[in-house]
Amino acid sequence: MSEPTAATGPDVEPDFDVIVVGGGIAGCVTAYRLAQAGRSVVLIERGEAPGSKNLSGGVLYSRVLEQVFPDLLTSAPIERRITRNYVQFLNATSSVGIDYQDARLAEPVNAVTVLRARLDAWLAERCEEAGVFLMPGVRVDRVIREGGRVVGVRAGDDELRAHVVVAADGVNSFVAQEAGLREKPPTHHLAVGVKAVVRLDERTVAERFHLVGDEGAAYAIVGDCTLGVGGGGFLYTNRDSLSVGVVLRLDDLVKRGLRSTDVFDHFLGHRFIAPFLEGGEIAEYGSHLVAEGGLEMVGHIHTDGMVVVGDAAGLTLNTGLTVRGMDLAAASGIAAAKGIDEALTSGDTSEAGLAGYRRELFAGFAGKDMETYAKAPAFLERTRMYEEYGLLLGDVLHSVFDHDLTPRRHLSQVVRSELKRSPVRLRDLLSDGLAGVRAL
Amino acid sequence: MKIAVAYKWAPNPQDAAVGADGSVDWSRAKPAVSEYDPVAVEVGRRLADATGAELVGLSVGGPDVASPMAKKAALSRGLDSAVVVADDALAGAGTTPTGRALAALVQRLGDVDLVLTGDSSVDAGAQMVPAVLAGALGWPALTDVVAVSGTAGDLTVERAHAGGSQVLHVTGPVVLAVAADAVVPRVPGMKDILSAGKKPTEEVPLADLAGWQTAPVEVVATAGPELKVRKGQVIDGADPAAAVTALVAALRADGVL
Ligand SMILES: Cc1cc2nc3c(=O)[nH]c(=O)nc-3n(C[C@H](O)[C@H](O)[C@H](O)COP(=O)(O)OP(=O)(O)OC[C@H]3O[C@@H](n4cnc5c(N)ncnc54)[C@H](O)[C@@H]3O)c2cc1C
Repeated sequence: MSEPTAATGPDVEPDFDVIVVGGGIAGCVTAYRLAQAGRSVVLIERGEAPGSKNLSGGVLYSRVLEQVFPDLLTSAPIERRITRNYVQFLNATSSVGIDYQDARLAEPVNAVTVLRARLDAWLAERCEEAGVFLMPGVRVDRVIREGGRVVGVRAGDDELRAHVVVAADGVNSFVAQEAGLREKPPTHHLAVGVKAVVRLDERTVAERFHLVGDEGAAYAIVGDCTLGVGGGGFLYTNRDSLSVGVVLRLDDLVKRGLRSTDVFDHFLGHRFIAPFLEGGEIAEYGSHLVAEGGLEMVGHIHTDGMVVVGDAAGLTLNTGLTVRGMDLAAASGIAAAKGIDEALTSGDTSEAGLAGYRRELFAGFAGKDMETYAKAPAFLERTRMYEEYGLLLGDVLHSVFDHDLTPRRHLSQVVRSELKRSPVRLRDLLSDGLAGVRAL
Repeated sequence: MKIAVAYKWAPNPQDAAVGADGSVDWSRAKPAVSEYDPVAVEVGRRLADATGAELVGLSVGGPDVASPMAKKAALSRGLDSAVVVADDALAGAGTTPTGRALAALVQRLGDVDLVLTGDSSVDAGAQMVPAVLAGALGWPALTDVVAVSGTAGDLTVERAHAGGSQVLHVTGPVVLAVAADAVVPRVPGMKDILSAGKKPTEEVPLADLAGWQTAPVEVVATAGPELKVRKGQVIDGADPAAAVTALVAALRADGVL
């Protein structure tokens, strides 16, 4: 060790090398990797059972987690392999969709559906096997700081100390805020997700979505599903259930005076969505915040004695068609474990000593993607996306397919006249199109 | 001297789904130490501390009873050690094999004059195990216990009783089923969980237990309670005064008022 720090000083012997707060994907991956490297790790999770408090839409881009668990696809509780992506512009009485199916998405597997209550329990079990000390049912209340650095955590009357504390406590990370590392995110950086798992039998799921074997479909939906609120809906197939929900921009929701549950109910009852769910039974229901600030939200992710991973570090990407957070959580866990392991080896767990984490993160796909999509949040704040384009598309197609005995016109004329009727200006279309191409 | 506490690693009924035919699907239910068992552990802890006894947890069930999570969850609540039987043959076992297997464990442990249990398990809630366990041991069983003092083998036991309470003096070995509200159990802190990880736990192979299989009682079927047909009348509460009038009128019409 180069120099003794407050945590490693002669008087207080740390209980563990590393304390990880939060047993979601980011926390489990960080803890697992560090235990594999021979470090003593405690994983503190407030839920009595890991995963019990967690919620995702459910499409996991799985390659990165396979790097950590090579047997992921055969051993983990995976629901279906996604081979069909459906992009849907949903209006009140019309719907326009792009149906993309591709056998190449099945081999090698690219994305799978998961249910967090099952996946997180599996991850926690793997952590325990690797030697992580699992501590469920404990909510961390405070971060202990001494001599300007983080040295441990407090829960109730108890304190635990470590060389490094990992804040993996999810969006709105209280641990990182406590440590003075991050501010409370502004509402335009947050969205609220409402989701239900609707149980059907396996055959019904396969029939309704034209699926074979363990292949699955993912619907990304914009428009009337959110009653025009910025955000979108999703509908994902699990083995014998559907994950269905909405993600709504918090500031827009508040501005329109709507409640997330009303939007959610409207979506589930929509004439083009309800038939998928018919006869199903609601097995799970929940709501959760989503980080949507993109790169701007990432900011500081390490300080003296602490690193921040996953949602806690603002690592979520909403590109309009996909919400990604689980894969980024895993990637940040891998990077953090590497950075922490190096810092522990060198004996320097100060901000400078832990900087390897940030370097590693931004050298990999996760950090690069955050940079690539840096403009996405601003683009998605353009509200025309959520109402007017879907209607315009629907009206154009209606004019094409509705043979009402008026003489037919060329498609270009139809588009022009529908554009004239629509509140969308050609200028908007060009500007949004250009911004979209640049941001996504 | 040892005091034993029987606890169950039970699925949480909040996550169970009851099918139209009365069948119960437990597949989504997360297990935990059965809700009322920590009360028995707490009663045992206080008694053990007062008398210098060792407090041993006993549990029988499927393989997950021996998982590190299950052991830590039980031991962090104040037990000194645990002895478990974790076997597929006991996964979801009924009250008779469970009670008998626990009795065999008590006998194997030896030097026990008091076995404490919770009031009932959170999943099945049959309230049978204490009686089966006592029967198999040939000991008396007392239920609804709200307070215990003295030393194992020579105890003063208070039971809740309709309209009052009953105080009994018990000599010799006994099984006590503790009422759910007897004491408030401690919430395990980080240090409790840490030390739980270091406490001794013994896993006994099922083959070492004799006489647990005999199960003269068999569950034939389960069924949901029949629901009374309700009117399902909803009164709009937007205007409270009008709602009250409507409610009173409706109750009058049905002869309730
Ligand atoms: C509706 C919705 C749909 C989504 N859809 C997708 C999708 O399809 N694909 C995708 O990749 N991502 C999706 N996401 C995002 C994804 O869920 C998150 O990015 C991901 O869960 C982040 O993982 P994490 O480990 O960082 O945080 P979390 O999964 O939030 O885990 C944090 C953990 O910390 C624990 N914790 C919090 N505070 C404390 C404390 N004080 N003490 C102890 N423990 C604590 C929590 O209980 C929790 O277990 C979606 C999110 C939502 C809300």
